[in-house]
Order: sequence, then structure tokens, then C-alpha cells
Amino acid sequence: MAEAVTADVTSPINTLGSWEGDGVTVAQIAAALSDLRRHEQRAAVRTSVLTLVAVVRDPEVVDGTIETVRELGTRHPSRTLVLVIADTDEDPGIDATVSVHALRSQGPTVCFEDVVLRVRGPARWHLDSLIEPFTLPDLPVAVWLPNRLPSLGDPLLDTADRVVVDTRAIGARPDSLAQVSRLLRKLPVTDLSWVRIAPWRSLLAGLFEGHASRPFLDHVTRIEVAGHFGPRHLMAGWLMATLELTRAHVHTEEAEHVSIRITAEHEGRVGRFSVERPAAERVIHSSVDIDDGPTVEQTWRLRDRWPSRSLADALTRIGDDPVYRRALRGALELL
Amino acid sequence: MSDANPLAEPVGDKVAPPAVLVVFGASGDLTSRKLMPAVERLALRRLLPAGFSVVGVARTELSDDDFRERMRTTVEKLGGGGDEAGPVWAAFTGGFRYVAGDYGDEATFDRLKSVLDELDRERGTSGNRLYYLATPPGTFPVIVDALAEHGLNRPTTDGAFVRIVIEKPYGHDEQSARDLDTRVHAAFAEEQVYRIDHYLGKETVQNVLALRFANTIFEPIWNRRYVDHVQITVAEELGVGHRGGFYEKAGALRDIVQNHVMQVLALTLMEPPATFDADGIRDEKVKALKAVDILSPDDVAEHVVRAQYTSGWVGGEEVPGYREEEGVDPHSQTETYMAMRLLVDNWRWAGVPFYVRTGKRLPKRVTEVAMEFQRPPHLPFKASQAMGLAPDALVLRIQPDEGITLRFGAKVPGQAFQVRSVSMDFFYGAAFLEETPEAYERLLLDALVGDQTLFIRTDEVEQAWRIVDPILTAWADETVPLARYEAGSWGPAEADQLLSRDGRRWRKP
Repeated sequence: MAEAVTADVTSPINTLGSWEGDGVTVAQIAAALSDLRRHEQRAAVRTSVLTLVAVVRDPEVVDGTIETVRELGTRHPSRTLVLVIADTDEDPGIDATVSVHALRSQGPTVCFEDVVLRVRGPARWHLDSLIEPFTLPDLPVAVWLPNRLPSLGDPLLDTADRVVVDTRAIGARPDSLAQVSRLLRKLPVTDLSWVRIAPWRSLLAGLFEGHASRPFLDHVTRIEVAGHFGPRHLMAGWLMATLELTRAHVHTEEAEHVSIRITAEHEGRVGRFSVERPAAERVIHSSVDIDDGPTVEQTWRLRDRWPSRSLADALTRIGDDPVYRRALRGALELL
Repeated sequence: MSDANPLAEPVGDKVAPPAVLVVFGASGDLTSRKLMPAVERLALRRLLPAGFSVVGVARTELSDDDFRERMRTTVEKLGGGGDEAGPVWAAFTGGFRYVAGDYGDEATFDRLKSVLDELDRERGTSGNRLYYLATPPGTFPVIVDALAEHGLNRPTTDGAFVRIVIEKPYGHDEQSARDLDTRVHAAFAEEQVYRIDHYLGKETVQNVLALRFANTIFEPIWNRRYVDHVQITVAEELGVGHRGGFYEKAGALRDIVQNHVMQVLALTLMEPPATFDADGIRDEKVKALKAVDILSPDDVAEHVVRAQYTSGWVGGEEVPGYREEEGVDPHSQTETYMAMRLLVDNWRWAGVPFYVRTGKRLPKRVTEVAMEFQRPPHLPFKASQAMGLAPDALVLRIQPDEGITLRFGAKVPGQAFQVRSVSMDFFYGAAFLEETPEAYERLLLDALVGDQTLFIRTDEVEQAWRIVDPILTAWADETVPLARYEAGSWGPAEADQLLSRDGRRWRKP
């Protein structure tokens, strides 16, 4: 059944058309998608850069996931497939919702589409067979698992050119970082926890630019990293591995937000370097305080729409990330 | 461990080192409209380190706080500031200082020197300086000389840098550009000099390089064997506005052709560089410009058109003629439009005409490079079957709606066999919805990290003037009449004749 849609004039995203069907086949869904595009002139021209597949098992994260991928359309025009997997083999079948959207940015209208499939029954063990018919030819496929890690034998991985995971969302499971490390040997992995702490990393790196503070980096005496399981370990692991320090230098503790303090001693002077997020604010403060030397502070504000922004950042850089590999190696040493 | 910062990202955006940006002309228009918004965006994107500082220098009397407040208001007026920027900017402007004084007064530079030393001590800027001359061209030599006299032109500590950014116009003809270079080089080595043309900072101008040298499908046809001719258009719908006084002395040739058009031309003509670094690319651009045929006075009379707009209608609004604009001589002979045919004497382009046009008060703002290909050697259809078939064309749109259009022939659906031209569009902004840096943002960061790729080297300036100077000389004799065109049209009839004589016509962008 096709459904008329009214335009939301306040949003840059305008849903041009949508279609819903229960107990449908892949061929019916593909035909509906094709029809939606064919009958809408604004959707005729498309410039896509990837197919994104989100796989969700937890009903609580379904809505958030769909919202995030729609917001993502404003950064990465792509075809998005959201697979919502039921935890039952009863009433096998697929329910589908297909939508075509237009985004009016500064230039021409950009179109993108999303397909949401609710999968029950045996098909949930063969998700690769549901993904292939919807992938755009010749473009990379990124598979996003919002709050879990795939097993290495999961056929889902055969369809993916890249897997996007989030070690923080998975929770404090001691083996999760080791599992990501094994996954990395199979294909490229992007960890949203790593992407999210990019501002902390670049502000920290910025503190050691220039002759006044750079030498302190060779004489670090103590590193303190606070934060949740996942980002905390990655940050600490990155610093330990990059600065070639031992575990004894690095201290970590559980906290709501990531913060880093580095103490170093050079030519008899102590330098204190920190990057911290105060509890209730969406800002990050960084500071340098060197005995008889410069004292400077910097503030950076975290942006809104964080989930879609970090996912967009994750999908922008599609090559291997050797720095993440190094951070993960360090994190595993710290555990 | 080396001096490199091991925590810096090996790939991705470059981050500026701690440095002082010294802006001469700090109370001027360029600083407000372009430089400060660029500094703010770089700060918001975390590309400036904590110690980064700005010193404004100008004649206007202001305190440090006045200067900070003025820059904050400026940035907000242009759409910056707001919730996201507020706390960032407040912390950031802690490193802003202001030095009031005349550029010809020694005391100005004494004060500047002591402020710079103070910032090095307090904010760890390590002797790194980037001077930015956002002042009228007449002040360039005065400031450059004064910097040298006060020892501010060379680094004072090991590993520090001192660089200078010079805005266009770089001279008003070949000789004056050379004279300016002599003064600049007496104080600064060429590696310290960053001559800016903001066109090169545009993402889509750089995309010309990506399109040409990251693909194999375009380069084989990018030559005289396939290309019939090339049209470069830089059109503006605006008039001279309040810049009448400046424009009277410049004209379209100096204002647009000598810099922007020559840069676009060089990127179109150049051979693939061996390396994608500053000298790799600039060497090839210079070679390309050197191959452009110099026009004799007779050539100028025959292959160059100059014109001035009269009143007309643009975008539904009635607009005055150039001579009625503020600050313009009612008998002005300054060109607001110019078109010319250039030939390039090298293996790749011999015999291919490059038609260039630029003008104000044209129907719309557009910059593009259009390559029209030769017709097939033989069409197996009847003439009546290919009536709607134009030659194939590849158009690089630089602004607006940046992208590429490919025009080719296709069969019209139906029983009859009819062929007509279709256009396939690629919109750059439809594939990448990233927040792309503004030109000044990109170039300022490049200057801070010491990347000269997108800045003009001295021999590029020389080559551009070498092409433009004979035209200026011929026009000075007034042997080439000044044509007129109605505002809102695509230029004078003489420009159409320039192409029609060769059996061609201008595209309608």
C-alpha cells in the first residue's frame, strides 16, 4: 500500500513518498522502492557514496537507530537498510517500510532512501540474503551494529566492506575489546567510541605542539584517564602505546565523561596538561600549565546530534586506521 | 623521539602549530569579512592550538578589549558565534592583542615586537609568526621594509617560522610586480612568502586536480586530438557596488583575468605533476602558462574584446550602467567585461583555441571550464536524424552548483531513429554533504602549517603578467575600441563575433 506524505516545511528533509507492507517478499519491497523513485521526479537523480546496513536486535534502540540513519542522510546520501531482528522463530516473515527522502541543501536537491525490514523466523540467520538485493552496485557496504559485536562466522560479515561497532554501547564486557581485535583481522572496523573521543585526542595533541611544551611529551611521569569502559581504555591504550610508556604510568577510573591529565617533568620544571569535560556541560576544557612557562586554556563545545555526527565521521574515513589498532593493542594490555 | 608530535593524527586535518597571526589592516573590511570568520571556524574545528594568538595592527586607536569585542561582533554579524561558538571564542580571544599605529612609524613596530615577545613567553607561541597584509597594495613595501628593519622578518629561535601572506593585487603590471618582488625578497625568502588568490582555496578549484589526476577516463581525451576548443567563463551578476574607485584603476583584466582566470587556465592546461606537493604542482602550472602564446598588438585588436556595461535589468531589477555607478568617471574607459582567444604552444594543446570571458552584470554568477570535443569523423546517420546532436562536451562547474556535466548523444525513444544531445550532471555537493572549509579558512591553515601548494609562486605571477601585459599596453594606446553591452546580457556583439569568425559560439552557462 502506498501512502501520501505531507512535506515538513521546517525540516531540510522532505519525505517524498513511503510504502509499507506486512509479510512481503524482497521482490515486492524492491519493486516498491523502484516505483517510489520512478514516480518522483525529484528522486530521479542520485549521487550515492555507500550502502549502510544497520542491524538491531534490541527493540529499545530501534527508533533511535532509524532516527540516526535519517539524520545521516544530511551528511552521506546513501541507501540505508535497517534490519530489525525479532528474537523469535514464530510467525516467520518480513514486514517492510520503504521511504524516499529529499534533502534541500545549498545546491541541488539530494535524494536518499531508507528501507526498514522487521525480520522474523529463519531468515534472521541469513541476513546476508536480505542485504544483497538492496546494495547499490559497486559501492562499499558498511554494516553498523549499534550495541553488539558480530561473531566471526556471522554471514553478515560476508556482505560488509566495513563494520561499525561501539565498544561503549556494548557495555563493560572484559572480552569485548579482544573480540574487536579479532574482528579487525577479518575486515576494517570502525569503533564509534574511538570516533567520539576524537575531540579529546586532537585537543590533547594540540597541547604538545610547539617548542614550549613538546619536550614534556618525552618525559611523562603520570597519565590519568577517566571515562566509561571502552573509550577510557582506548584513550589510555593510545597514550601508553604511542608514548611508549609502561602500565605503571597509566591510571584509569570509571567516570561519566572522558577526561585526561598528563603530568611531565622536563629540565626541572613540571608541566600539567589536561583535557576534561565538566559533568553537566557540553564543553571540553583543555589546559597547559608549565612551571615558569606558558599557561593557556582552550574550550571546545560538543555539537548536537552526536550519534549521527559520529556515525557520519566514521563513514567519512573509510581506510584502515592504524592509530586505532595501536590504541586497541594498548587497551588490551591495560585490561 | 623526533621533534614531531607523536600524538598528532597521521592523516586527516592538519592542526596549526602555536603561532601568532599578525594582521595588518586589522580594522579593515577584509579582516572583518574573511579573516576573522576563518579564524573562528578554524578554532571551532579544533585546528588551532591553545596558545594560538592574534595581533591586530592598524591606524585606528583601539584597546585589546575593544579589538576582541569588535572581532566578536564581526563574527556574529556574519552568522558565526552563537551557542556553539560563545565559550570557545571567549577562551580563544584571550590571546588577542592590538597594536595601534601608522605603518610608517617606527614606534608601531617597536610595540609590535614587544607584544610578540610577551605572547611567546605567556602563551608558548615559540617565535612562530604569520604576517597577513590585509592592507591596500601601496602599503605592502612599507610594511615589509619595517618588518625587516626591526628584525621581525626572520625566526629568532631554532625551528620557528616567520611567513608573510600577501593579498592581491600583486602589482598592477609586469614591471610593478617585479619591483614589489624585489622589495619583498630583500626581506623574506621565497619560502616565507605566501601570495594568496582565494580562488585556489575553493574546494571545487582543487577538485579540478582530483578530477584530472585521480581518474584515467578524462586524461586520454584532455588534448588536441579530441578537444575542439575550450571556453572559460567567470561571470558575475553584480556590478561594482561601492568599489567603483578601486575598479576604475583595475578593470576586469587586472581584477579577474590576471589572477583567478590565469589560475583556472593553468590548472586546465597543466601536465600531470610528478608529486602532489607545492613545487610539483607549481612547476607544472608555470610550464603551462609559459606555453601560452603572447598576443601581438594586432592579435589584441583581433582576438581581444573589451566592453563596459550600460544600464539594464539583472534578476528582475533595473540596474545603472557602469558610468553611473558611485565613484566611477562618467567618461570612464575601464572595461567591466573582456573576452579573448588564447593559443597554447605545446604538444598537448597546439591549435586548440581557449576562449576566455569575464564580466560584471552578466545574467548570473557562474565560473566554469567547458571543453567542447570534436565531432565524430563520420556520422552513419542521415543529417535529419542527428539534427539535435551537438558536439560532446565536458563542463567543469566551479561555482555555483559545483560539479561536472557531460553532454553526449543518445537515441530518442520511439520507432524513428533520432539522435539528440543529453546532459548528465554530477553535483559535487550531492555526493559529499560535508561541511567544506571556506577558501580563507583553508588557505590560512595552509599558511600556518607551511603548505605553499595553493599559493602563487613568484614565477607564476610573472607568467600571468607576461600574458596580460601586452593587452594592457595595446589598450593603453586606445587602438582597441571599448564596446558596450547591456547589463543582464552575456556581453557585447563583438565577443560573439570573436567566436563566430571561427565558426563557433559561446555556451550559455
